[in-house]
Amino acid sequence: MRTVNAWRLMRFGISFGALYAVWIVFTASVDAFSLFTGAIGSLAIAALTHDIFIAQHEASLRAFVPRPLVLVGFLAFLVYSMYLSSVQMLVALIRGRANPRVVHFRTRLKTDLARMVLANSITFTPGTITLDLNDDHLTVHWFLATTRHSRAAGDIVKGKFEDRLRRVWS
Amino acid sequence: MGIVGEFIALIAFIAAAIFGTAGIVGLYRFPDPYARLQASSLCGTTAVFSIFIGCLALASSLAIAARLLVIIMFFLISSPTGGHIVAKFAWNSGIDPWRPERTERPRRRWWKRA
Amino acid sequence: MLDAMQWFLLACAIGALLRLLAGPSAADRLVALNVLSGIVLAFLALRGVRQERAIYLDVALVYDIFGFLGLLAIARFLKDKAMADGEED
Repeated sequence: MRTVNAWRLMRFGISFGALYAVWIVFTASVDAFSLFTGAIGSLAIAALTHDIFIAQHEASLRAFVPRPLVLVGFLAFLVYSMYLSSVQMLVALIRGRANPRVVHFRTRLKTDLARMVLANSITFTPGTITLDLNDDHLTVHWFLATTRHSRAAGDIVKGKFEDRLRRVWS
Repeated sequence: MGIVGEFIALIAFIAAAIFGTAGIVGLYRFPDPYARLQASSLCGTTAVFSIFIGCLALASSLAIAARLLVIIMFFLISSPTGGHIVAKFAWNSGIDPWRPERTERPRRRWWKRA
Repeated sequence: MLDAMQWFLLACAIGALLRLLAGPSAADRLVALNVLSGIVLAFLALRGVRQERAIYLDVALVYDIFGFLGLLAIARFLKDKAMADGEED
């Protein structure tokens, strides 16, 4: 019981901090009135929604607090792969040649947040879009497919992202 | 920012123009929703992202730059999610993905026509 | 430069709108809507930087959030409608 309460308090604090940071960025002023109003609003919203913002079963801080440097590296890699895949898509558009398939595979990531980020990242890799994410089972529409074997397809599609994500959240 | 900012913005806007055109062409070129979604979502995301980078290079005050950064962060989350929603809708409404004609069998060469 | 990009985005928006009107299936229309929301977002950001007013960027962020929620709502609505039609048959 004690742990549950402490965890709830921590979730509340994190929600409040995130909301207040966004408020300060968007008002871009440090008046006393503005800061006070923002604090009241952030407190009220955090009290109402901290249960949705961070679910209770995410029972460790490591599950959603990323390592900052690794996260920046991951974002840079994401942007790089986005441009790379756009160029590939450009070539496919010009030549009019494509090989779309639907492939299924599993992921080894444990936390919900990391899985969500993986599904979003897959949408950035060369011509793949996540159709369905069901616990650890991903259904992916692959536009420029090279293989039908599910494990090989999984390694190609998620390979580079999964290893990096395991270093960000784990 | 000066001349360096202008130069970065020029490169970013040229990239945005190329990818944006590709996205719109992709919207018309392929015959089924999945392929259209692939082309337009990927190229559109890249184009909009490039425009944001260009705007960031041209931003005149800190308030605008900070807001642009928040918008970029949120866009990186919301754009693939939007694509995923559309794809899931198409998948759940039972549309079969388009399969092109197989071209694996050896093409008959005109000089080998017996 | 910023003005030229605004005209370019306008042309892109017209292209996406044509697909939105012509799309044979509901999924096609949703794809076009997805592209259109990205275009409008970029247009708002460009306009905010051009006129040096931060208020356009606030509008852009809120538009991003609500465009995304609107897409979700439309997909949900169409799915329910399709299921209801399926039960009637």
